[in-house]
This record gives sequence, C-alpha cells and structure tokens, in this order.
Amino acid sequence: MARGIALRRSLLWPIDDVLRGGTSAIARESSLNVWRMGGILLACGSFHGAILGSFIGHGSPRLAQIIYSAAKIPLLLLVTSALTLPSFFVVNNLLGLRADFIASLRALAASQAALTITLASLAPVTLLWYLSDPDYSDAILFNAGSFVIATAAAQFALRREYRPLIQQNARHRLMLRVWLAVYAFVGIQMGWVLRPFIGDPDMPVSFFRPNAFTNAYLFLMHLILGKL
Amino acid sequence: MWQWILTLDRILRGQTTQISALREDKFDIPIYGMAVIIQTLGAIYGLCMGLFSISPGGSGHAMQIIASMLKVPALFVCTLIVTFPSLYVFNALVGSRLLILSVLRLLLASLAVILAVLASIGPIVGFFSFTTTSYEFMILLNVFVFTVAGLLGLAFLLQTLHRMTILRSEASATSMTQPSPPEPEMGPLEHPREHVLARHVKTVFRIWVIVFGLVGCQMAWVLRPFIGHPNQPFTWFRHPDSNFFQAVAKAAIKLFS
Repeated sequence: MARGIALRRSLLWPIDDVLRGGTSAIARESSLNVWRMGGILLACGSFHGAILGSFIGHGSPRLAQIIYSAAKIPLLLLVTSALTLPSFFVVNNLLGLRADFIASLRALAASQAALTITLASLAPVTLLWYLSDPDYSDAILFNAGSFVIATAAAQFALRREYRPLIQQNARHRLMLRVWLAVYAFVGIQMGWVLRPFIGDPDMPVSFFRPNAFTNAYLFLMHLILGKL
Repeated sequence: MWQWILTLDRILRGQTTQISALREDKFDIPIYGMAVIIQTLGAIYGLCMGLFSISPGGSGHAMQIIASMLKVPALFVCTLIVTFPSLYVFNALVGSRLLILSVLRLLLASLAVILAVLASIGPIVGFFSFTTTSYEFMILLNVFVFTVAGLLGLAFLLQTLHRMTILRSEASATSMTQPSPPEPEMGPLEHPREHVLARHVKTVFRIWVIVFGLVGCQMAWVLRPFIGHPNQPFTWFRHPDSNFFQAVAKAAIKLFS
C-alpha cells in the first residue's frame, strides 16, 4: 500500500511540478531535473502519439501507425531541440548569459514537458472525437486545434519559468525570442518531414510520406502563389 | 586540444575580453591552437553545408562534402590574409597600442567566434540541406547563416577593439594614477557604459567592418561552389563569372517566382 502511494507520488510529482511551476524548487535539490523533464516528454509524448495514430475512419485499426505516431511526437520535439540547442548555447554565451544557462535549459525543458502533458491530457477528448467523427480532414483540424492549445500551455510555462531570469537580466527576453523563432523555423520543417502523424486511412501505412524530404516553406509558398 | 577548446570557451564567455583582463594584458590566446579550432569548426559547418550534395535534391557528388569541409575554413583564412594588413594599419591609425601579434590574436579570436556560431547553427543547416530539394533555398539559408555569424563575430571584434582603445586613453590620461573600482563581469558583446569613443574612431571601425564583409563575400564567390549545383558535375572551382550579390539576388528571384 505504502509502496503504491510512493510510486504514484514519484510518477505524478514531476508532472504536477511542471504544471504548477515548481520545477525550479526541485532543481535546487536534484541536478537530474532536465532528465526528468525528458522522461515526462517521452512518456506523455508517446502516449499522445499513440492516441493520435489510432484514427481509423471507416477502416480497421492499424498497429503500425500507432507505433509510428507514438515514436514521432517525442522524436519531433527531441530532435528539434537537439538541433537548436548548440546555437542557443553559443549565443547565450555571447550575450553574457552563461551563468544562467542551466536555468534557461530547465525552463525550455519544462515548457516541452508542459506541451506533452497538455497533449496527453487532451488524448481522451481526441479518442472521443475519433470515435464520433470518421472524417480524416476533421481529425486533422481537431488535432491542429489541440496542438495550438498545447503550444499556448507550453508558452505559459516557458514565460513563467523565464520571468525570474528576465528580471535578472533583460537580455534573456531577446534570447528567448530568438530561440522561439529558431525553434519554430526548425520545428515546422521537422513536422513536415515526419508526416503523417495521424495517417490517412485510405493510404498505406508508412513512416515517411513519399515527398517527405522536401521543404515545407517552399511547398506553402507555391501553394499560396498558385492560389493567387 | 582540450586547452584550446577551453580557450574558445573563455572567448565565448567574454572572460578573455573583460576590461580588467585586457588591462593586465592577458589577451593571450594560443595562435596555433586557435588556428586549429577555426579549421575544425569550419570543417564541421562545411560538412553540414555539403550534405545537400548527397540529399535527394543534390548532385550526388560526395566529393562536394570534402570540398566544403576544406573551403569553409579556407574562406576565413584567406579573408584574414587579405584583410590583415589593412586592419593593422587602421588599428595603428586609431591610436591603439596593439602590436602586430596582438592584432592577429584579436582577429583569430573574432574568427573563432564567427566559426563557433556557424558550427553551432550547422546541425540546423544540415537538417535543411538533407530535407530540401531547392538549391536556391539552400543558398539563401546559408547566406543568412553566414551573415548572422559574421555580424556577431564583427560585433565581438569592434567591442574588443573599443575596450582596448579605452585602455589606451586611460593610459594616456594623467589622472589615472588611482586604482579604478572593479567592473562587473560583462558579456563579450556588451558595451562598456562609462567610456565614450571618439566619433572618428567609430567611423574608422565601421568602414573597416564593411570592407571585411565585402572581402568575405568576394572570397566566397572566388572559392565557390560550396553547396554544389544539382545539375552540374563536381568541380573544385568555377570559372569567374558575375558576382556574389547578383547571384544571391538571382537565387532570391528564382525562389520567389
């Protein structure tokens, strides 16, 4: 009984801390905070991914798509972070913010964890939507909506974590904006490469789409220019 | 090698260019070590840049990767060789007490900053190189990344020269016999507030930075191709033709049409 409670506490505490903004307090006690955030990201991201990939429309369940999507959500966030962190580190140094680097990293990790926690919390609603509406384009729109909500939650967590840093040194605000711009630039292309996340029921299951290795921005630009 | 990496770290953190460190003449970075660091960082960026050639939209010539790994460091080393004499002259003109080796150290430190920024953006460029079929998009992305890295490196150079010139004016002032209070630690790009540099010195610096940028662009044009045209066979160098700015403008027009 006591063990069960301890297990629940150890699993839920980090999540609760991310939501309530107590990650800085934990960090003082444990240097593993960033890793813990990574664990949350993996667990919640995979869970939401699995639900995301469970769309069947009028067809039958596809286990491969569920596994692919469960892998893709953490992959999207982790690889985008890995690609953007080296420049984040170097520019932090140049702006004289090296002393706060671990705190900045913790804030970024907390915001990523908050993103996946919010997505995971919306998973039951996603399932209900999938069960009630078999239309693929509706499923895309619904999931776009849940990503917007989760991004807003992540932004909220990020700004809360960054507030003390910005109060200390206003250049953190500039750094945060630059990082958000770079992260979005890379993240959009990463999302494009890793399509499909939901999986069109009328198409065979595949990890990458045939035109995965193309540029999202150029595709969008040609789409807009074509409409004009 | 580890010592050299630590030196790069100290440069990036701004420890080597604190006014207190400069006053004690501690801007003492290993010239050979920095040269190796610059070569290595340049090769890392060259690798990321050259990945386009083996991507689905590239030419398929893997030699381009080797060429880019050699050319990115060469671009900076050649620009350094071309601009070094004029920088030294301008440096003497503005009244700095820097000797020739100190100017070389300062330039190497600035190049190390540029290449550290470039190499740190390398993974992003590598990712786009591999997932983009448009040659023009890659040209513009690389030009943008080089511009950002160049601006940060030149800001570092100007700021450090500025701090060194302050020391020169301090040394010449007779009222500086008393020890000054210790300054708080500053970032390498941070502007010291209490000193104002003479207007003509600032103008000289600004003009020199523009010259450095232009020479760099022209050098890049001489050393091209860096990315490798998808429809052309691999060559180490191309024939002289057009110029850098026309080519970038052409790429932009082609991309947006």
